[in-house]
Amino acid sequence: MEKNHYAFWFLGTVALGVAALIGFNWAAGAYILHHPSGASVQTLSGFERALKPVWITQIKPQLVFVGSSRVRDGFDPVLLDPALKLRSFNYGASSMTPYEARRFAQDTLAQPSVQQMVVSLDAFTGNGGPGEALPSFDETRLAVTPEGTPTPRRGLWLFTTRFLSGGALGMNALSAYALARLKQGESAADRPDIFNAYSHMSEAVMQRDLNYRRARTLTMGPGPARELTTLLASACHAKARLTLFFPPDHMAIQTRYRHGDAAGLDAFKQTVRGAVERHNARCPSPVALFDFLNENVLTTEGLRDGSSPNYVDLVHFRPPAGLWLLEQMRLTAKKVN
Amino acid sequence: MPFNSYPYFIFLAVAVLGYRLLESRAPAGRRVFLLLASYAFYAWWRADFLALLIGSTVINYMLGREIELRRTRHADRRLFLIGGLIFNLGLIAIFKYQALFVTTANTAFNIGLPVAEFFLPLAISFFTFEQISYLVDADSGKTRNYSLLDYSLFVAYFPHLIAGPIVRHNDLIPQFHAMRSAPGRDLAAGITLFTIGLAKKTLIADNLAPFADAIFNAAGRGAPLGLTDSWLGTLFFTFQIYFDFSAYSDMALGSAVMLGIRLPVNFLSPYKAASIIEFWRRWHISLSAFLRDYLYIPLGGNRGGAARRYLNLFITMLLGGLWHGANWTFMLWGGLHGLYLAINHAFRHVTKGMTVPPALRLPLHALSVLLTFAAISFAWIVFRAETLTSAGNVAAGLIGLGDSGVVSFSPLAAVALILLFGIVWFMPNSMEIMWRHGNPALPSPYENEPVKPARRLVWAPTRLQAFAYGILCIVAVLALSNLKPFIYFQF
Repeated sequence: MEKNHYAFWFLGTVALGVAALIGFNWAAGAYILHHPSGASVQTLSGFERALKPVWITQIKPQLVFVGSSRVRDGFDPVLLDPALKLRSFNYGASSMTPYEARRFAQDTLAQPSVQQMVVSLDAFTGNGGPGEALPSFDETRLAVTPEGTPTPRRGLWLFTTRFLSGGALGMNALSAYALARLKQGESAADRPDIFNAYSHMSEAVMQRDLNYRRARTLTMGPGPARELTTLLASACHAKARLTLFFPPDHMAIQTRYRHGDAAGLDAFKQTVRGAVERHNARCPSPVALFDFLNENVLTTEGLRDGSSPNYVDLVHFRPPAGLWLLEQMRLTAKKVN
Repeated sequence: MPFNSYPYFIFLAVAVLGYRLLESRAPAGRRVFLLLASYAFYAWWRADFLALLIGSTVINYMLGREIELRRTRHADRRLFLIGGLIFNLGLIAIFKYQALFVTTANTAFNIGLPVAEFFLPLAISFFTFEQISYLVDADSGKTRNYSLLDYSLFVAYFPHLIAGPIVRHNDLIPQFHAMRSAPGRDLAAGITLFTIGLAKKTLIADNLAPFADAIFNAAGRGAPLGLTDSWLGTLFFTFQIYFDFSAYSDMALGSAVMLGIRLPVNFLSPYKAASIIEFWRRWHISLSAFLRDYLYIPLGGNRGGAARRYLNLFITMLLGGLWHGANWTFMLWGGLHGLYLAINHAFRHVTKGMTVPPALRLPLHALSVLLTFAAISFAWIVFRAETLTSAGNVAAGLIGLGDSGVVSFSPLAAVALILLFGIVWFMPNSMEIMWRHGNPALPSPYENEPVKPARRLVWAPTRLQAFAYGILCIVAVLALSNLKPFIYFQF
């Protein structure tokens, strides 16, 4: 074959593939955005790091939740938005590193539509160092650089992420398939087999989790503390209000944390309280702090008929519990305006 | 503009199209076009440093021309050569090493010299070395009255500007004038080689990076690394830098081939090397050649006895290590390789004349490859670690002195490692795959030792391969991240 024919076939294959990719991502994206349960896909685990920075610009939410899989599982906009009478967005991602949490929070604060941001503090634990991120996290998609200046050429990066990235292909395919499996009139809450965030912790899951998290601690190293400080500095003059909360991990696992490193857990809470107090003393935009990582009606619940009403497992709370948490934080009573 | 980015794909398409259009209609204009394209490529990163690149080019060109003129007139030209060397090395010293030297002096002598904060200009190590070779060659009578346009294009030619290969003026400039008659053939070979490189980068190197980073960052924070973390971190980085640099080299050569230019082979399955000497004939070949010709030989080379030779090798590698970056870890890495090379040469000297029984050749070769790989991997620890303490932490973990648990040895990690070893040890490399396709698109790195064409997976311009490489290109593009520049971009 002539070599220019080779180039023709090569480029033709690439062009067709790219066109198919753009077409699929465009169609799937439109389907997800317009589906009545479309926002529930924000609770799915997959390539959320890749596509959520695009979704937040499309949805233009007023309320945003940032954090690890606890947040990703626990706040379903389809459940929350009618109760809160606003548009919310779930910016949670699996195993979010402290650096990623700070960067997603910075991105959220830079969105003009956002009036309130709720951040789960477990994302600021561990010993993560500066700049540590997991695969498919790419901060060129975020609105601002780590220093807080606008990201150069972001429009281009958002376009390529939305239409040409493997993350978008994976997340769109996963989400569209999940939505397509819902029957007429069904919501994510009716199909825990598809939307795991709505599943109930069983005795077996509880035991498995207790084994899996046998030596678990919840402490804050110097790296995560620095990331939290940077986040608070970003929020000092922000238009959006910031609410931080210690997540309501089940008492069974809280006992493990205490057994593993009680002093570390107390130091974590104390560090956060100190940082918030200092912030509120000097910043025009105050931060609210709530502690659910204690003995309360949610964390002490037992299994009813062999399953938990509010937990997926010992650290992941279900969306109804997420709504309860917002009520405790008075975010439902004091409607965001 | 990184090669692994959408803007570069668009830029490359425009550059190839413009170059090919001008090739048939305005042969002289294509060099101007390529130069402007190369400057645009550099300015995409930071436009203000373009002035430094152009300024450095013009000054070196004028010095080189003056040296050439004086040579023909048999006039004294030492002042211009020495001045040129001081200018170029001074430029690198100010931008790259000043902070390291001043900080070290402040610590060592407890003084308070001010440390100036300079932003490191992209590719300064590469374009400065190339210009030093031009000045030295002008002094030796190896340059040929190049025009400013040709010289500027030689320095700034975008496929090799950022991270090599380090090209000689007499390899590149004549090609700017040679008319290529097979644009279709060049395009076919170029896009295929570029695709192989892109796939290596996005599908392999970038997926190893987060794990290697997490482990080395943990070591940097002082966490005493456990056995699993240390071994996996070392191996992941060993493979990451292999595929990262291999990818860059393929994409650089592929880009150049699309424009009808052949850059020298820079990377040739270095982990298949059965000795450190062979490793340096396969890894960053153009840098090895530069260090040999412009540092090792001027230092005395192998003249002056074995001890002097080993010392020269050690000094060459020490400075070669420091060339990579302003950190003592790089110097230690270079020193380690200098030591390895000296031991390797001494061993060869001692075993000279010995013959290996045929039955033992294969096992001994396998053992040599394994030993070489282990030595190289160990040296990469120092290369990757940000401080000597951090490197010590990883090295201590290799013998189980720590207990961290950043990663766990999962079945997936085991499969990944088996695949990676399989690729680097048993698969033909991209040069071998691309070697024969009617008209060799790539020059051999060695005059007397051509690259052997692959026996399997040979590239041929068939419709099926066009389709297969097109699919590979799409998959590689899907995995593209804007965050992960090539490791060698920082040098």
